[in-house]
Amino acid sequence: MSGHHISSVKFLWGIALSLVVLTVVTVLAAWMHFPEPWNVVVKLAIATVKAFIVASFFMNLWWDSKFNVLLLAISIVFFFIMVGITLLDTLYRTDPIPLF
Amino acid sequence: MSQSSAIPKKGDHVQEHFVNSNQQFEAAKLGMWIFLVTEILFFGGLFVAYIVYRSWYPELYILASDHLDVWLGAINTTVLIGSSLTVALAIRCAQTNYTRGIIINLCVTIALACVFMVIKYFEYSEKFELGILPGAHYTYEGIAHEKANIFYSIYYMMTGLHGVHVIVGIGLMVWLVIRANKGHFSSEYYTPVEITGLYWHLVDIIWIFLFPLFYLID
Repeated sequence: MSGHHISSVKFLWGIALSLVVLTVVTVLAAWMHFPEPWNVVVKLAIATVKAFIVASFFMNLWWDSKFNVLLLAISIVFFFIMVGITLLDTLYRTDPIPLF
Repeated sequence: MSQSSAIPKKGDHVQEHFVNSNQQFEAAKLGMWIFLVTEILFFGGLFVAYIVYRSWYPELYILASDHLDVWLGAINTTVLIGSSLTVALAIRCAQTNYTRGIIINLCVTIALACVFMVIKYFEYSEKFELGILPGAHYTYEGIAHEKANIFYSIYYMMTGLHGVHVIVGIGLMVWLVIRANKGHFSSEYYTPVEITGLYWHLVDIIWIFLFPLFYLID
C-alpha cells in the first residue's frame, strides 16, 4: 500500500513550519549580500532544499513508488539538458545580442 | 474463502479494467506524475529564457528586481506554503474518513489561494500604473537599462503562467468541495483529492523557485 501513507497532523505542521523557516532564512541571506556567484548559489540551494521537502513529504514521494520518483528525476535531467544545450549556443555567440 | 479474502473486494468506484482500488489509485497517480513532468518542462522553457537573459544582462536583473517588493513576495511564499499544508491536511482527513475536515481544509486552501491572487493583483496593478508593462508596451523610465522591458516580459510571463495555474487550482478545489459535500470521498476512494494535491504542491514548488529568482536578486 505504498500510495496510502498517512502523515500525522503534527508531522505536516512541522514540514510547513520548516518551509516557513527556510523562507525567512532565504530573505535574510538576501540581506547579507554575499558576493556573486554565491548570492545566487545560496538562494537556489535553499529553494532546492524547500522543493525537496515539498516533493518528499507533501507529495509523499518519500514513501511512494520509486517509479514516480524516477519520473520527477527524468524531468529534472531533461530540464538541465535543455538549459545546457541552449547555453552552449547563447554563451558562445560572437555577436551575442539579438534585436529583442 | 481463504482465497477470496486475500484479494481485496472491488468497491463501487473501481472501474472494470482495474484489479482493485489500490491499482486504480496507483494508475491515476502515475498518470498525474506524467502530467506533472510535462508541467515542469513547460515552465522549464521559461526558466531557460530567464537563465539565457540573465547570462546576457546580469546587471539588468539586479536593477530591475529592486522594483519588486520582497515583502509581498515573502508573504505570498508563506501563503502558498500554508495552502500546501491545508491540502495535505485535507488528504489526511480523507484518509481518516473525516468529510467535514476535507471541506474545511479545502475551503482554507481556496481562501489562501485567493489571498495569493489578490496580492499578485496589487503588485501587477501598481506596476501597470507606472507603465511597467511587458514587451513593446513598456514605458517606465525609472530603470536605467535599455532592456528593462525584457526582464518584465519574463517576469509577467512566468508569474502570469503561475497565476493561471493558481486559478485553475482554485477551480479544482471548488469542484472537490462540492464532491466532498456530496460524500463522495472516504478512505476507500479519495483519488481526486490526492491528485489535485499533487498539482497544488507542484504549483507551490514553482513559486518556491520564482520567489528568489525574481525578488531576491542582490
